[in-house]
Amino acid sequence: MADSPKIQFDHAEGENIPHFKSLSGIEYKRIYTREDWDKTLPDAGEYPFTRGIHKDMYRGRLWTRRQQSGFGSPEDSNELLKFLLRVGQTGINIDSDIAGKIGLDPDYPLAQADVGLQGTSMCTYEDMAALFKDIPLDRISSTLIFPPPYSVVLMGQYMMMAKAQGIPYENLIGTMMNCPFTQLVGPTFQANTDFFPIDLALKIGLDLIEYLVPIAPKWNVLNVNSRNIRESGVDAVQEAAFSLALGMDFIDRLCKRGMNVDTFARRIGFFSAVHLDIFEEVAKFRAMRRIWARQLKERFGAKNEKSMWFRCAVQTSSITLTAQEPLNNIVRAAVQTLTAILSGVQSVHTTSYDEAYCLPSEETHKLAIRTQQIIAYETGATKSVDPLGGSYLVEKMTDEMEERIWEMMKEIDRRGGFVECFKAGWVENELNQARYKLADQIESAELPIIGMNVFRDEEEVAEIEIFKQAPDMQAKRIEYVINYKKNPDRGPVRKALNDLAERVKKHPDKDLVVPILEAVEAKATLQEISDAMREAVGFSIPQ
Amino acid sequence: MSTKKRIIMAKMGLDAHDNGLRIVSKWCADAGYEVIYAGVYNSAERILQMTIEEGADAVGISFLGGEHLHYSKKLLELFKANGLESVKLFAGGIIPPADVVALKGLGVDAVFTPGSRRAEILSGIAKCLEAQESGS
Repeated sequence: MADSPKIQFDHAEGENIPHFKSLSGIEYKRIYTREDWDKTLPDAGEYPFTRGIHKDMYRGRLWTRRQQSGFGSPEDSNELLKFLLRVGQTGINIDSDIAGKIGLDPDYPLAQADVGLQGTSMCTYEDMAALFKDIPLDRISSTLIFPPPYSVVLMGQYMMMAKAQGIPYENLIGTMMNCPFTQLVGPTFQANTDFFPIDLALKIGLDLIEYLVPIAPKWNVLNVNSRNIRESGVDAVQEAAFSLALGMDFIDRLCKRGMNVDTFARRIGFFSAVHLDIFEEVAKFRAMRRIWARQLKERFGAKNEKSMWFRCAVQTSSITLTAQEPLNNIVRAAVQTLTAILSGVQSVHTTSYDEAYCLPSEETHKLAIRTQQIIAYETGATKSVDPLGGSYLVEKMTDEMEERIWEMMKEIDRRGGFVECFKAGWVENELNQARYKLADQIESAELPIIGMNVFRDEEEVAEIEIFKQAPDMQAKRIEYVINYKKNPDRGPVRKALNDLAERVKKHPDKDLVVPILEAVEAKATLQEISDAMREAVGFSIPQ
Repeated sequence: MSTKKRIIMAKMGLDAHDNGLRIVSKWCADAGYEVIYAGVYNSAERILQMTIEEGADAVGISFLGGEHLHYSKKLLELFKANGLESVKLFAGGIIPPADVVALKGLGVDAVFTPGSRRAEILSGIAKCLEAQESGS
């Protein structure tokens, strides 16, 4: 008897999802009713800002389309920035290569193979000027992703550039992220402590805030990168609790310096992840707004409502993207982008679908911007403020997330605050446990990922265009900085570096921003300045 | 004396994205290997030194930012120069398809890209180490 042709189909008996838990483990109920939530909420723009920090939200102004970008040389990245602005990006987010983020010049031996790979290579004033060529600093806001003490060096270069263009500091708009714990790959211990003493980095970061607040009132002085926290594998509750606790730790330290909370709190922001669990994510952002506002008001005594605003940029999650069937990532990123908008965030980076292979190409960057524009202009999701507000599910979930986040924040507080938890290795342990758990969930398909652990097509060969750098880019950058350091026309670099080292050695408790800025003015490079401080405290770095 | 196979697990260069390294290290330890966790920010010279000092049977290196060809090549050259050709080398992480082929051409014994399952990675490692025992 001939076999009748069969199709393989595993779900004839009815297709089911494996469970009804949220990503962080909250059990979704079958249906939510008035019994779950029967309260009323203040309007958007009113304390505690559950429904949004602005009364009109996107009716008043759309969110900023801000793609993190950068690769190769500053000149390459300048071209990319112009391309992105041309297709509709409305803000800039500069990612330097890793060397830039840990205070190394391209010629440092351990840095050479990474030059320009994950961001733009930059270490001199001229690099900064080349990167921002033709970009009006007072009209387009720019985010610069640098932790302290390097944030001070790059800020100094940025300010020199503004001065050269005749733009007063008070007109500068943008952000220096300036967080020593979250800017690299989340708050992993080794990544954030191997290249600079963490206590000194934190201290210099706070110095920079104190320096900038009075002279650049529109400039944001600190951004807690909660996305990097999340992307290391923790859940939404941990992401929110860690980042809010860290934010509060900063505020506490600034207040203890004698700063009035209302002078600086409004200049602190967050950069969060948006994952795929739509309602848990929406609830997360609403709960974070509420907790932040309450803490600023009740714990820190803020009077100005703007100090209580939880302002949040987001980037859609990379950890959710797959190398298998990469086009599926376009769908994931679109859902996450919509989720961000339903959550009322202030700026969005939509992650490109080729992330599991390479840096985004121009084409995939453009698609990411188009995704946001489609949501902004075509879907209607922007036409009413907090469109999910009042949903029994969303409000109940917001309350539940708030409670869980708050419980974890209390635990962090009991352990001495986030910074202590980081230094004691508690954070590291939490991250690792979360990673192992996530890996188990992926292995068991308790966390189903289409095309990867369910519905995997073993025949599939991903066809994807790979972004490529110029083959001589690294060699050119290395040669550039070697020659730069030989240039006799630089200012009195040696003296400035000596002065800085002396200050670090003898008066580490005093402000270190001004002596760093003097070294920047003298055209010292990023690593020359960083090394002067490292050597002053006898700190050696990986070779 | 322990007969456990010893594997050094490391990230090389400046990239510190260590999710994959942490997870695969745990999987290897759970599977009975002795894992020597070298963490992030390693140079090829440092991994060579560790390989000698620890008497490692294999080295696993993880990449994300595009440094995989440079460091794999360098490490293999150092192994060769030091008579360590029998040490197995695995690479994992964000590595484009053409580079997977290139890495294997250089002499990397196995390459695991995103989405590789635990069983696949562990059997790949086991196979290489079995081949090492039989002298190939």
